[in-house]
Amino acid sequence: MSSSDTPLVATLVKPEEAADSNEDAVAIRVRSLRKGYQIYDAPRDRLKQFLWPRLQRLLGQTPKQYYREFLALKDISLEIKRGETVGIIGRNGSGKSTLLQVICGTLHPNSGDVLVNGRVAALLELGSGFNPEFTGRENVYMNAGILGLTQEQTAARFADIESFADIGDFIDQPVKTYSSGMSVRLAFAVIAHVDADILVIDEALAVGDAFFTQKCMRFLRTFMKTGTVLFVSHDTASVRSLCSRAIWLEKAELLREGSPDDVCNLYLEAFYEAQQGRHTTTKMRTASLQDPTKPWKDQRLEFLNLSNLRNDLQVFSFDTDAASFGKGGARIVSVAFLDKENAPLTWVVGGEQITLQIRALALEYLTAPIVGFFVKDRLGQTLFGDNTFLNTREQPKVCEEGMSLDAEFTFQMPILPAGDYSVSVAIANGTENDHVQHHWIHDAMFFKSQSSSVVTGLVGIPMRHIELRVVERSA
Amino acid sequence: MGLAWSLFNPILMLAVYTFVFSVVFKARWGATVAGGDESKAQFAMVLFVGLIVHGLFAEVLNRAPTLVLNNANYVKKVVFPLEILPVVSLGAALFHCLASLVVLLVAFAIFNGHLQLTAIFIPAVILPLLVLTLGIAWMLASLGTYLRDVGQTIGLVTTILMFLAPVFYPIAALPDEFRPFIMANPLTFVIEQIRAVVIWGNLPDWEGLGVYTMAAVGVGWAGYAWFQKTRKGFADVI
Repeated sequence: MSSSDTPLVATLVKPEEAADSNEDAVAIRVRSLRKGYQIYDAPRDRLKQFLWPRLQRLLGQTPKQYYREFLALKDISLEIKRGETVGIIGRNGSGKSTLLQVICGTLHPNSGDVLVNGRVAALLELGSGFNPEFTGRENVYMNAGILGLTQEQTAARFADIESFADIGDFIDQPVKTYSSGMSVRLAFAVIAHVDADILVIDEALAVGDAFFTQKCMRFLRTFMKTGTVLFVSHDTASVRSLCSRAIWLEKAELLREGSPDDVCNLYLEAFYEAQQGRHTTTKMRTASLQDPTKPWKDQRLEFLNLSNLRNDLQVFSFDTDAASFGKGGARIVSVAFLDKENAPLTWVVGGEQITLQIRALALEYLTAPIVGFFVKDRLGQTLFGDNTFLNTREQPKVCEEGMSLDAEFTFQMPILPAGDYSVSVAIANGTENDHVQHHWIHDAMFFKSQSSSVVTGLVGIPMRHIELRVVERSA
Repeated sequence: MGLAWSLFNPILMLAVYTFVFSVVFKARWGATVAGGDESKAQFAMVLFVGLIVHGLFAEVLNRAPTLVLNNANYVKKVVFPLEILPVVSLGAALFHCLASLVVLLVAFAIFNGHLQLTAIFIPAVILPLLVLTLGIAWMLASLGTYLRDVGQTIGLVTTILMFLAPVFYPIAALPDEFRPFIMANPLTFVIEQIRAVVIWGNLPDWEGLGVYTMAAVGVGWAGYAWFQKTRKGFADVI
């Protein structure tokens, strides 16, 4: 089909702008963007709006408005530098997709301006700009042409695109016969091979299977080294692990912007707030109730001479000022790692058995309290966690106002790769699926892994036995 | 079959119109090619010229209102040069038109033993019609996206235009008071000119063609401008 080699999507840098080095570092700049949709109650209102206001203006009357305006974006300003990976989170209908479409140029804003430096390749919604009647092959040429590749360039890359998409003989079938997964694979394969400067991806990765998602992630991580990525997702875990910055859109407005970890935490709070109604986001400050009579014990001493690769984990004590939220029916007052003698630990050794103790104070009558925790790594990825729900399911521990609750989790600490870790803790009332969060503390306690024997993976598990044997030839 | 339909279709239509109008209605055009009787085939060919021109015009216009709607992917998901959609559809219609013209010329050669030399002016007569058709197609493609009803009414409009053009009857058959209306139909002039160059062997009316071309360019430009001005809103209404 089209062999057009004009980069239609690309808004190329104008010479006078390129001269300014500051300007050059900007990949996307959006200034006071506003986009509204006209909502009509009936189709005939659309026609009335088309005719009457003009007529009324001609007659000198004030024109009547036949629609309600739905604002998808109001006054959004943001700037994305070259090489940044920015994640956009927000609930359905918060304006994420509209923002991406405006940036890509498929939607036109009511006011405000968009500056895009470089060639944009976008994967908006599913299947992207495929013509369902054409075969996969024809669509690849068509799409690559739209993105600015000549027919020869596409032909040279076709084998790569085909193997990336990996959809077999379907490449010569019309796209309308594809499953949703197949069309996303093909669409992603195309945008991965058009030498884009900016990738815009709208929740497309949720459709592919695990193998393909991994392939896309590998591609994205390589691409991120040189290119700019704008990424929409509901999955805060992937925003935390991929992005260098996160943006939270809520009801058409840019609510927060900052490190992915902070923004995702706030987003999660808002999620619970919406579920539970009343909200008391207070940073609860409490005196630590840690028992001073018990000595802090350095567990590392016992292993001092055993190995130089011992997994030392330095524990920082419970952060009473950590960001928290919840309905306030209970309050977590202390979090600590304990050894077998119930002594608080400042050092933990990976692979050893320890106890995580969470102490909470009930501020109201709790019918079925649940205490839980999870451990996150530096990128905010949840490594492991647990809660008391299953153990107390049959007979919930009823807790009167003013009483204290102690939750203890005894487990073997996994061996952790060097880096910073945090423990988030929470107390809720109800069941695992239907509960009210009373107090949730992000990153209540930090600990640091100094050195590690973990070869690969998020966590290491103690190997019971490793052996390398030379097997004699059988002949 | 594929491409064969492009030839088979006009031949079949030519045969059917010849039968209905010459055998059933016993209609006569009232004009003959120099030196010959007006045969049934002759009437059919005169008729066929009108049908070819109207066919080109109607095919593009009937499809125009749904062009953008049927390519929603190109509106919402990629930045696509939407203005080429009517051009592509015009190209397809032009191909059908050329196939029909070939059938017409072959039929003329068979029945008259020669071709009119003036037939080489066909492109000059057709070109302004293409520009005009394209302009209207751009306008309809834009309107049809906003007002879905346009797609329903356009078929009616093109059919009316066929009967209000000298397709089935010569202009001379009309009472004088109706002449201005039929001359206002953009198809009338082109149909008459094609007949002049292909069948009667006359030179085109250069002066009229010049005026027509200027009007066509005006409409074409206005259609394009309108399309480009309104396309910003396409994504909002699809």
